[in-house]
Parts: sequence; structure tokens; C-alpha cells
Amino acid sequence: MSTPPRPYTPRTARKFIGAYRPRIDALEKAAGKVEFVDDLTLKSRFPGMLYAKVMRSPYAHARIISIDASKAEQLPGVKAVLTCKDPEVSSLKPTSAGWTDGVDTVSYERMMWRHFRDRRVLGDHACWATDEVGAVVAAESEQIAEEALKLIKVEWEVLPFVLDPMEAMKPGAPVIHPEIAPRNILPKDTVGGKDIFVDKGDADKGFAKAEVVVEATSVHHNATQASLDNWCCLVDWKSDKLTVMSNSYEADQTRMHISQMLDLPINKVRVISSYVGGQFGRGDTGDQPFFLFTALLSRKTGRPVKFRHNRRESFHDSRQPAIYTGKAGALKDGTITSLHFKGIGNSGAYADHTMFALKFAPTEITEVALAHIPNVRMETYGVYTNKLPACMMRGVGNSQFNLIFGHVVDMLAEKLGMDPIDLALKNFGHEWGGLPDKSLSAVLREGAKRIGWAAKRHKPGAGPVLDRVKKRGVGFSFHPAWHAEWQEARRGEIRIRITLNPDCSVVLDAPTVETGTGSNTCNVLGCAEALGFLGIGPGDIVWPHTVDTETSLKDCVQTDSAVSYLQSEVMAHAAREIRKQLLEKAAKLMKAKPEDLDIADGRVYRKAAPGKSMTVKDVFMRGDMLPLVVEMGRPPNGEKTGVPYIANFAEVEVDTSTGRVQVLKLVVLNDCGTVMYASGAEAQQIGGQVIGVGEALTEEIIYDEATGVPLNFNWIDYKIPTIADMPDIDPALLEVWRGAGEYGACGIGEGTVTCTPRAVLNAIYNAIGVRIDDIPVKPEKVLRALGKA
Amino acid sequence: MATKSENHARGEKKPPVKIRINGSWHEFEPGRDIEPEMTLSYLLREKLGFTGLKVACDEGACGACTVLMDGKAVLSCMKLAAEADGHEILTIEGLPEDDPVIQAFAKQCEPGYGTALQCGFCTPGFVMTAKALLNENPKPTPGEIKEGLSGNICRCGCYSGIARAVLHASEDAPKGGKP
Repeated sequence: MSTPPRPYTPRTARKFIGAYRPRIDALEKAAGKVEFVDDLTLKSRFPGMLYAKVMRSPYAHARIISIDASKAEQLPGVKAVLTCKDPEVSSLKPTSAGWTDGVDTVSYERMMWRHFRDRRVLGDHACWATDEVGAVVAAESEQIAEEALKLIKVEWEVLPFVLDPMEAMKPGAPVIHPEIAPRNILPKDTVGGKDIFVDKGDADKGFAKAEVVVEATSVHHNATQASLDNWCCLVDWKSDKLTVMSNSYEADQTRMHISQMLDLPINKVRVISSYVGGQFGRGDTGDQPFFLFTALLSRKTGRPVKFRHNRRESFHDSRQPAIYTGKAGALKDGTITSLHFKGIGNSGAYADHTMFALKFAPTEITEVALAHIPNVRMETYGVYTNKLPACMMRGVGNSQFNLIFGHVVDMLAEKLGMDPIDLALKNFGHEWGGLPDKSLSAVLREGAKRIGWAAKRHKPGAGPVLDRVKKRGVGFSFHPAWHAEWQEARRGEIRIRITLNPDCSVVLDAPTVETGTGSNTCNVLGCAEALGFLGIGPGDIVWPHTVDTETSLKDCVQTDSAVSYLQSEVMAHAAREIRKQLLEKAAKLMKAKPEDLDIADGRVYRKAAPGKSMTVKDVFMRGDMLPLVVEMGRPPNGEKTGVPYIANFAEVEVDTSTGRVQVLKLVVLNDCGTVMYASGAEAQQIGGQVIGVGEALTEEIIYDEATGVPLNFNWIDYKIPTIADMPDIDPALLEVWRGAGEYGACGIGEGTVTCTPRAVLNAIYNAIGVRIDDIPVKPEKVLRALGKA
Repeated sequence: MATKSENHARGEKKPPVKIRINGSWHEFEPGRDIEPEMTLSYLLREKLGFTGLKVACDEGACGACTVLMDGKAVLSCMKLAAEADGHEILTIEGLPEDDPVIQAFAKQCEPGYGTALQCGFCTPGFVMTAKALLNENPKPTPGEIKEGLSGNICRCGCYSGIARAVLHASEDAPKGGKP
């Protein structure tokens, strides 16, 4: 690293919270000892296990007219075949893979995007090439199951298809879900709102008043989450009880989904989630139709059935692609008078969470970052096409919006002759604070210092030329962070349980599926901090890593990067209850009133005579030896505190002869409110750049335009950055803003990817003086922009 | 002397495939324990339960399935099990927990570089690749570390921490000795 690291200084000194230290699972993971679902469901552990494979559409758009599985059923080793014509399949309700964004558990009736129930569980309508349709087979091995699929005779009605959302909106275009969207444009719904979903002030009047106006376009193609741990589940449906092991990141919602779709009592469905090998928003939540057909196969055969995607099949979901246009108007002094953003999203074959990305997230951004802009209009159109469905991915909706937001800010500053940092500080804050916003100011000033803004920023394309063809530039982008505690109100109660054993060891039930985010370590640090009066440390606390709906409390879902602090907030309250109950126990033994006692460093003492004390252990050991158990549920604190800011600064080098862009350095800045776990927070800041740089420069799904077949569902041709592709990354943790509650923290992990593409694009513009509007910025786009191709 | 295939043509039993795994010799009977098209990753994971190695891409693009064959890193998803006949395979289960590379990955929290792992799915592959790198080059430069680990993907993106961990593991190695 070229700059020496600069560890952050905590605003409030604490014993454990905010520490630089290894993760609680670091050694187990480094030694390869943690087991993921694919490891836990080896055939040797489930000797009777069968493997399921599902038929996939070879066509971008087609309907199954007839299906004959008789030959497949006769293949030795095949134990069951289900087709879309079987009544137990065809009678299942239409569904969505976007029941919930994971913040809360919802029922079928209350699913978030209930207006768009466009999916069938193993239907006869293939809406994209590789859609899971038609038939599913359970066999003794995956090879036999695959062979069997080939023996199924299908008569297809091949339908016309459309890949481009602009084409899909035109009259006469193939219509994909006519019952929901007769012109492929998703209609307004109660959650996302109408097409113009934000209309504050009068945008037109605001532009009329403006002295300077800029207009821009940005195009975000569909990157994929690319978790290494492919989707996998094992379903064992014995007599009337169904057990599922999976790498879904939401156990409670998976249980609700299965219970409601298969009409089973909730207590007859058990969902177990162990370690998950990366999430990144993959597959939204627990609402995947494959759970259901795997379950039906298990019921039919009376055996456990395992279904897993291979790498090709794991291209199952993607970032919502969006074409945005943005317009900004300002007075000559830099006061923005009006903003207008219009998005066209390629939803792909199913709506799922399309409108979360396109409407829900930008609405939240308006509420905070655009609070001081008098006139704002936002409109969006989600459009069905025959592409891979697009929904949740780390930075959902915000990444796409930042690509246009950071674009108009950079353009407007240039036209005004202002430094974009000054323009940002003059206009953006949040509803509950004034201007300039302290948090935004801190991240931008610190970023400028660390990247060397004053020295390196030059007029577009006017920097020095290196090696005759290479040009350098710097750029940045910023964004409001999410989610502060008040933005998590939909979760309802967060529940935890602390068991304090007689020897002062602790079992912390703070259930959340362990996907790698570091929240498990935040939990343990938070618990140790809260129980500091016991004189214990993180090493005295056990955090069970398995979520089991039969024994665990409801899991706090790994969304919004918020688990890192939400559970710790509850622990702070639970610890007060533990202190109270301990004092009551001790009072009996010490023949004193509880209010005359206190606890510190593991000792209960008389306030009037601190020398007279006994250890907490003795309170148990001489008393009833009963573990002290405190279970507590609290809703997130709803106090409106605004949000802090995040920013990325980038330095790039562009080879003007080859078009190659090299990112030289990234500074990643997060105002965290409170840093819960510094090493984990840095790992999120640094780690997010792999997705950010990948999306900016290399990651894109490519389709054969003639057939609609995706061409690069593999990791040779879908290019994820490796260690050799990544620049120096300087993570900067700040504590400026403060939320409500004990810690007043804010989620940071998800947003770390959000500003990267725009920061890189603004840096490219600074380097070469020509703007490139769509990502990934592949060399040919640079050469085209330079007029060389 | 008759070749193996000639023996097979005459219906003679094929000799077992012998692989030394983590120090112990294993014998696999062709047709029963091992098939010609079986990959080494499949044999190790599905048949023998060495689940430390992961199959993430199954086509040699991500390095999660890396094991050592005679001290060198191989992608076990790209290797036929039969190709390991007569060779020595080391999986992460064969390393002691106090192995310097494992320890360095576990301990990394030096400010500015994050941790060396998050979800932990790619970690065994990185650890084994790093073992092979340090076997060959006990004191690699930062550039050589990047080059040596460039066949592995960490989607959580812990590359800074990983590079740091490998650097620390190399510093801990005795001079000229195997780390």
C-alpha cells in the first residue's frame, strides 16, 4: 500500500466495541473447518438421499404444449418425476421471488410485491433462456437426473422474445406477462407507487428559474451477485413434517414461504441455516420456488432430496439494470433549484424486487440526501423482457441511482466552474439537519486529503501524459448511507436471549444467518461490552452459528448491513435486566437491599462499603446455581436522526492507445456513527470494491441477440476481479453523525459498493476529458469515446 | 508387457488407484470407488468427506478447490481422480491448526487491510494456494504474492487482508525452510 494505514480514533473510548481484532470465527474458517450446507448434506450423512435436477428452457420465450416423461421415469436410478401438468404442481399458487426484502417476515397476502405474482413453481411458460420450467427429476445421482431430463419429450411453442426494455415498451413487442403488464411496463402498485413516484415542489418551474442546466444519461448493466456458495437445499419431508437445510439467508421467511405455499402448519416446517458462503443479496430471501418442487419430490419418494445449482445455474439473479436520465438546474452560485431523474429498468423475466431498486430506494434517497432541494421529480418504468430476472444485489437501487446522481453533480460543477466538493456541500444533507452537512463535509474533506485532490484534480483531459499514451485523473462520488436505526422500523422487534451460566460464561442467542458480514463478531463484542460489569470478555461468550427455526429465536435478517448494530442495541438493554436480577440474587445472600449493591469487574459490592463484596460466580455457586436467562425484544428506535454519508474517491490511469482503464487507488469513506468492529468494517469497505470495480470495468452478462441465450454464465467469461486486478484501497472509518440508541451506529457494508462505479467514471472523465455513460467501461468503449474505434 | 487397456480388454481386473491423502495411502477400485470421468474434487469431497475444499465454479476459474499435489497447487475440479494415482495429495484437513499460513489468515486484523476472510468459503483454496507459493518462494514480494494468488476469487473481496496474511506467514517462516 502506498499510503500508510491510518487507524480511526473512536469518538467514545470503549472496551470491546470498535476494536481491531480477528473475527470470532477466523480460526475455524482459516482452517477450513466451518461447514456450509453443501458440506452438511453429503450422501454419507444422508444415505437415502436423492438428487434433484430441473429442466431449463432452451428458449428465451416459449410455452410447453405437451410433455412426456415416461422414458425418464423408466431410467434406472430415477425415483420420481414431476411435471408442470401434475396436479400437485399445477395447483400451487402463483408466486414471486420477492415476498420480502428480508427486513420483515411476510405472509403470502402481505408479500411486498403482491401486485406482481408472475412466477409459477415449475410452470409451463418459459420467460428466459435457462428458466426453471416443465419438469423436475429425483434420482440416485445428479448424472442420472440429468440423463433423465434429456429423455423427457417436450413439445415447445416457441414465442417471440425481446431483450431490450426500450423495444419491449413499443407497441407490437412480444408481451411476457400480459395479465400483469399488457405492454410489459409494470403498473403502479401500493408499495412502489405510480410512475412519477416523487414530485416535490414544481420541477419545471425550478428548471425555468435555473441559470445553468445539465442533462446526462447513465446505464447500469446487470452484474450478478456471484456468491461462491451456490444455491443448495436439502428437503426431508417425513410423514407430516418437513425439514429444510439451505443456504438461504433468512430462516424465518423461508419457513413462512414453505408453510404458506404448501399449506403446512408453521410448526411442521423446520428450517436450518448454517454458514453461508457469501450473500450479496443473492436470490433475495427465502422465497425461491425450488424449495417447493424439491419438497414435493421428497414427499413423493419419502426420501431426503438435495437440489443444488451448479455455477451456470447460479446465474439466477442479478443487479437490476437501469437506464437513467438525469437533469439538474442551478443558480450561478451553485444553489440547485431542480432535479429530475427518470429510470427505465430492465426487470427481466420476473418482477420480483424490480420496484425496490427502481422506486423504493430512490424514495429513501429523496427523503434524506435531497431534502434541501426544493423541486425534485422522479419517475421510473420497470419493463419485462426475456432476460435474467434482476432484483436485489448489494447496494440495491442505490448503486444504479448513484451512477446518475454522481454524474449530474460532476457535470453541473464543471459547468458552474465549481469544485464538485463545494457544490455537494452547498446542496446535500438530510431533512433533520442544516447545510453544510457535517457528515458529508467530513467524508469529502477526508477523501480529498487522502486521494490528493488538490494536487491531482485538473481540468478534464488536461493532466500530464505518461509513457506518451497514458493519462491520469481523479474523481469521487458520494451517497447517503443506509440504514440508520429509524429506517429499520419495519423489522418489528429484534429478539435476543442472553444466558449467563453460574461460571460467568455466556451463551448469546442473537440469531442471524452467518453470511460473512462480520455481524457475528459485532454481536459478541456488543454483548461483552454490555456485560462489562461481569469482568468478562468476548472469549467468554459463545454465539451459536446455526439458525434453527425449531430452537432459535426469530433470525434478524442479513439485510441493510444493519444486524451489526441492531442486536447490540437490544443487548445493552438486556444487560441492564441481567444486572438487576443479579443484584436481587446477591441481595439475598449478602443480606442487603438490591439498591444498596452494585456490580463491577465481576464482583457484587456494597455501595457504602466497597470492600465488602462477593464474586458474581459465588452468587451463583453459593445460591441456586440456576443460569440467569434474559430474553428481550425491542423494536428499532424510531427517532429520526437522518443518516450519515459515504464516499469513494478514485484515481485512474487510462491507456489511450488500448482503452484499458487501470484503477490505481480507491479511498473508501464511511461515516459509521459508531464503528462496531473496526477490522470487520474495513473488510467490508475493502471487500465491497471487488463488486464495485467489477461492475465499473468488467462484469456484465452478455446475450446472443439472435437467440436470447446468455453466453457467459461462467467465471471464465464473466470477469470477477482477482487480487491482481485490484488497486490499493485506503479504508477510512469516521464517526461524525450519530444515530439514536446506545451506539447510534449505521449499516455500512452494503453501501461500500455504491459509489465505486461513478467515482471511477468521474476519474476517467477527469483523465481523458470525454464522458463514458455506461458500465462496465471496457476498452472498446474508451476507444470509441476517444474516436479511435 | 501388456498395457492396462489390453488387460482391461481381456477382462482382467484393473489395478487399484492408489493416492496418498494427508499422509495415508488410500486404494480405490476402478468401477466401484472411482470412475474414469470422476474429478479429484468429487472423490475428495463427495466420496471421502474432505469438505474443506469447495467446488464453486467447477471449471478452474476460482481456485476454491485448490489442493496440493506433491507440494504444488492443483485445481482439484480440473484434475481427474485417476490422475492422482501414485501421488501425494494434501488438503486443508492435512494441515495442523498451528500451520503458519492458517494462523496468519486467522489473525489478520492489521489496521488498513481488513480481515483475510469473511464468509470463509474461498479461504481453504487461498490457504492451499499460499502454501504452494511459499513452498516455492518462501519470501515472496508483494507483487509475487499478487501474481501467485491471482487464480483465486474472493467475492467478499478480502484481497488486501489476504496479501497481508501471506506476507506475515512468509515473515514467520524460518530462513530457507518450509513455512
